[in-house]
Amino acid sequence: MVIGYKPGTTADRRRPHFIRTPEEADQLVLDSACITNLSGYLVSEGLLSDEKAVAIFLKPDGIRSINILAAEAQLNIDQILILGFDINDNQVTALEGEKVEEFATLIESIKEQAPDALKNPLLEKIEGMTPKERFTFWQKEFSRCIKCYACRQACPMCYCRRCIVDCNQPQWVNTSSHTLGNFEWNIVRAFHLSGRCVGCGNCDRACPVNIPLRLINAKMAQEVLGSFDHFAGMSHTQEPVLASFKKDDSETFIL
Amino acid sequence: MTRILQSDNLDKCVARWREAGLTVIGPVKNESSSSYAAVEKAAEFDFSLIMPDRSIKELFFPQTEPMLQYTIKKQRIDTSDFTPPPEKRIIFGARPCDASGLAIDDPLFGWDYKDNFWFQRRDTTVIVTIACTKADDFCMCTSLKLVPDSTKGSDVLLRPLQNNKGWQVEELTDRGRDAFNEIADLLQDGSEPAAPTAVVAEKFNLDTCVAWLQKPENFESTFWREISMRCIGCASCTFLCPTCHCFDFQDEGDTYSGIRRKNWDSCSFALFTMHTSGHNPRATQSARWRQRIMHKFNYFPGKFNVNSCSGCGRCSRQCPVDMGITETLQAISTLQP
Ligand code: SF4
Ligand code: SF4
Ligand code: SF4
Ligand code: SF4
Repeated sequence: MVIGYKPGTTADRRRPHFIRTPEEADQLVLDSACITNLSGYLVSEGLLSDEKAVAIFLKPDGIRSINILAAEAQLNIDQILILGFDINDNQVTALEGEKVEEFATLIESIKEQAPDALKNPLLEKIEGMTPKERFTFWQKEFSRCIKCYACRQACPMCYCRRCIVDCNQPQWVNTSSHTLGNFEWNIVRAFHLSGRCVGCGNCDRACPVNIPLRLINAKMAQEVLGSFDHFAGMSHTQEPVLASFKKDDSETFIL
Repeated sequence: MTRILQSDNLDKCVARWREAGLTVIGPVKNESSSSYAAVEKAAEFDFSLIMPDRSIKELFFPQTEPMLQYTIKKQRIDTSDFTPPPEKRIIFGARPCDASGLAIDDPLFGWDYKDNFWFQRRDTTVIVTIACTKADDFCMCTSLKLVPDSTKGSDVLLRPLQNNKGWQVEELTDRGRDAFNEIADLLQDGSEPAAPTAVVAEKFNLDTCVAWLQKPENFESTFWREISMRCIGCASCTFLCPTCHCFDFQDEGDTYSGIRRKNWDSCSFALFTMHTSGHNPRATQSARWRQRIMHKFNYFPGKFNVNSCSGCGRCSRQCPVDMGITETLQAISTLQP
C-alpha cells in the first residue's frame, strides 16, 4: 500500500489517499496543500499486521513521528518506506532517502533550528503574563472545548487503544466539558505529548473550535529541549523523555 | 406591501427585547471561532457568516448539563432535580438549516419520554431565521429537500432586502408574533424587493440513496470500508451537527454525593458501543460511519418519517480529513441499488 494525498472537496483541500492498485495512483497529488501528517494511519488497527511494507508520503515532521512510533514499539521501521518531501514557500521538494535512518542528518539540522523555530510572539506574550492572567487566558480558550477529542484522534502520537479519558471503570477523567473537565483534558494531553509532539499541527487544524493548541505544544517542546536537551523524534532508538530516568539524576524523586 | 425591519432599527429591537426580559442571541464571531451567542447590542451580530462554526443545538441540548444531585445516606438516597433556567430567549439570525435541525429533533426528544431539558428551552425560545442569500461549497440543504428560505422550525422568517438595508418579515407562529409585537412600532410597511436566495446545487438524489440504504444486503457491503478508510473517528462531525443528539450519563462526585450529568456522546467513538465485557459490536471505524449514515437516512426516517440531516454541511466543512455526509451520499447515489 502507498499512503499519500488526493484532491479534496475544494481547491485548497487534500484528502488522505490509500493506493492499493496502479489505477488508484492516478489520483495522487503532491503540492503545498499536502500538509496533514499521515503517519497516524500506520498504527491504525491491523494495517501493518500482515508484515508487508507500506510506502508513505511524509514531511520532516512525519518522519520524526515514525522515529517516535518505532522508539515506542508501535511499528517496525523495516516495514516503512518513506517518500519524503518538504514544503518551502509553497514549493515542494523531494527529500533524499527511503528508510527513516537516512534522514538523521536532516533531523539533526532541524533540531539546531528548533530554538528559533519554536518561538512565537503570542507565546512570548503569554509567558509575560502573571499566572492569574495566564490562567484566565487559557480558561477563555478552553471554555470553547467541546470534548470531541478530535485533537487526540488527529495526532499520530495519540495511538493508545484506550485513552486515559476513555478508562471508565472508574471514570478517571471527567467527560464533561465544564471548566474543570476542559482543563483536565487539555493538561493531560499536553503532558502526554511533552517530548513526543513533533509540531505537525494536525491537532490544531482538527480542533473544530480553533483552540490554539500549537501554543501548548510549542511551549512543552521548548521546555523539554531546554531542560533535557530532548528533541522529539531524533532516532528510532531515542529514549522517551518522560518515561526514562537516570540513577544519578539530581532530583530525589520521580514525579 | 410587506412588513420591513430596517437594519438601522435592529439595535433598538435588541434593547426592547432585552427590556422585555428576553436573552437576545445570534451569530457571533470571536477571534478564532463562531457560534450563536448572547449579545447586548446589535453590532455584536455577524450576519456575514455563512453559518456559525457551532450549530444551534447547544442552546437547547448543551454539551454538558447537570440533571440531578444525589447524596447516598445510610438508609436512603436523596436526590434533587436540576431544571434548565427558565429564561426566555430570542435567537435572531438563525440559519434555516439550524432551525430545521431543531424541528427534526423534536420528535426524538418527545418520543417515549418528553425530555424537559429540551422542551422547556424550545417552549421559551423564539427563533427568528434569516433566509440565506449566499452559500458555500459545503451547503446542501436542497439535497435534503429543504430550501435556503425554509420556514421549518422557525417562528419568524426574515428575507434580506435587495438593498441590504433590512429584512422582509414573515411571522409564522404565535410565539413569533408575540415577539414582533414588542417591536411593532419599529417595523414599517414597504415594497422593497427581497434579495434572491442562495443557489444551492443538488448534490445527490436522496431517494436513490435511501433505497440503497434500505436494502438489507447493503449493510455488509464493502462500500462502507472503502468510503471510510480515512475517517479518524474524531467526532467533530457529530458534535457540530445540528441534529446529532446522542448523549451519555456520567456521575461526577465521590462515593457519597455527586451530580449526574448528561454529556454529548458520539457514534464515532469506539467507546460508544463498548460492552463491559470488552466486546464491541461496532469494532471498526467503518461500522461506526455506517451507523451514522444508516441512522440519519434509514433508521431515523423509519421511526419519525424525517431524515436526521438538514444539509448544513458542517460535517464536511470541518472534517479534518475532508470526509462527510455529502461525499458518502454522492458515492451511494452512483451505486447499483
Ligand atoms: S500534539 Fe498535535 S502537533 Fe503534536 S504531534 Fe500530535 S497532532 Fe502533531
Ligand atoms: S479538538 Fe478542540 S474541542 Fe475537541 S477536544 Fe480537542 S481541544 Fe477540545
Ligand atoms: S468523518 Fe471526519 S469529522 Fe467525522 S469522525 Fe470521521 S474524521 Fe472526524
Ligand atoms: S449530517 Fe452533516 S449536513 Fe447533515 S445536519 Fe448534520 S452536520 Fe449538517
